[in-house]
Amino acid sequence: MKRPGPLLTLLAGLVLGLFLLTLNATTGTKTASSSYEEKSPSPAPSRSAASTAPTPAPSPSRVPAADADYAGRTDDDAAAIAVTVRDGKAIAYYCDGRAEESWLKGDVEDDGTLRLTGKHGAKLDGTLQDGKRVEGTVTVGGGRHAFSADRATKPSGLWRATATVRSAKIDGGWIVLKDGSQVGILTRDGKPSPAPAIDPETGAVTVDGQQLTARPATP
Amino acid sequence: MTVDPNAATQGFPGPGPGPARPGPHPARYLVPALVAAAVALALGVYGKVHDPAGTAFNLAGFSSTGAVKSWLATAAMFFALVQLVSAAMLYGRLPGPAWSGTLHRWSGRAAFLIAVPVAVHCLYALGCQTYETRVMWHSLLGCFFFGAFSAKMLLLRSERLPGWLLPVVGGLVFAVLTIIWLTSALWFFRTFGVTT
Repeated sequence: MKRPGPLLTLLAGLVLGLFLLTLNATTGTKTASSSYEEKSPSPAPSRSAASTAPTPAPSPSRVPAADADYAGRTDDDAAAIAVTVRDGKAIAYYCDGRAEESWLKGDVEDDGTLRLTGKHGAKLDGTLQDGKRVEGTVTVGGGRHAFSADRATKPSGLWRATATVRSAKIDGGWIVLKDGSQVGILTRDGKPSPAPAIDPETGAVTVDGQQLTARPATP
Repeated sequence: MTVDPNAATQGFPGPGPGPARPGPHPARYLVPALVAAAVALALGVYGKVHDPAGTAFNLAGFSSTGAVKSWLATAAMFFALVQLVSAAMLYGRLPGPAWSGTLHRWSGRAAFLIAVPVAVHCLYALGCQTYETRVMWHSLLGCFFFGAFSAKMLLLRSERLPGWLLPVVGGLVFAVLTIIWLTSALWFFRTFGVTT
């Protein structure tokens, strides 16, 4: 006599797994519903960390560039640069690890052209090369640098943490490069300084004695 | 082996009632073992080859997917403990009600089905990694767990197996899940605090 129960259990797990995988692959960073939710404990008020969660804006009637992360250095080796593409929008971070940094934002054109802008006239022109690399130039603080950033996979990529520690506004940006090295700047009330290292697995970082969590930066 | 005659053991092949039973066909062991190996290997290869996406959907009300997964994993761990207790009841080591068989079956299903979304997220967003001891063991055992669980399910379908086999495989599945939970959810709660 064969019992169908155990087989049905396995099949149910397989179907559920494939269903969730499809959901992941097709919806990206949307909030889930369905069976996933009823299994979870009741939601409680989330902390400020939730505010950094990505809220992708729909971009109708366009074929957005594939979501990806890129990290690399300028050709003159003066600074690191990272680009994150989500839903046809891009955010980039230029950082020399000491004093000069810039966050840049903009759209990705259908042909893979990036034209990002930041504060104080910062500008980035680049192109996506088959989703493997971003090449271009970045202009920050009057200096123009050519750069090339390769496709990065977690934990390398772009990280950001914002918080208020002892009434000082903290804004940290980190670029974790493929070899595991980090380039980051922490600004306290607008004053930049080299950033302490983050744990690339979790984003945990201690700033002025306070434990913060950096998150992958998204547009 | 002492089995409570009132316990619902009919769903579980204990020592066979047949006289002078012949040794089971090798396929009874081989098929579950091969399926287990295939499942574990497939998950590992997918996790290694697939480019980790870094993100996947999050649930409303949670600060991160790590929190969601930790709570789901903790729920699975709870059902796994129910598994351990109900299995002890089935084998007569603990006094148990008549419905302990049903309890064992459904708590197992619940634990498995809760673990699936967690594993899907792990494999999809993070992949199989080895850069740290904790992460390495978690990745390897995570793949191993689903193989061992498949073997357990397939073994349940066979009768006339040695009586020790199911408890051993079941215990293995439980032990592996425990280590997986210790290296992920417990680590998460200790690192970030018990948050949602």
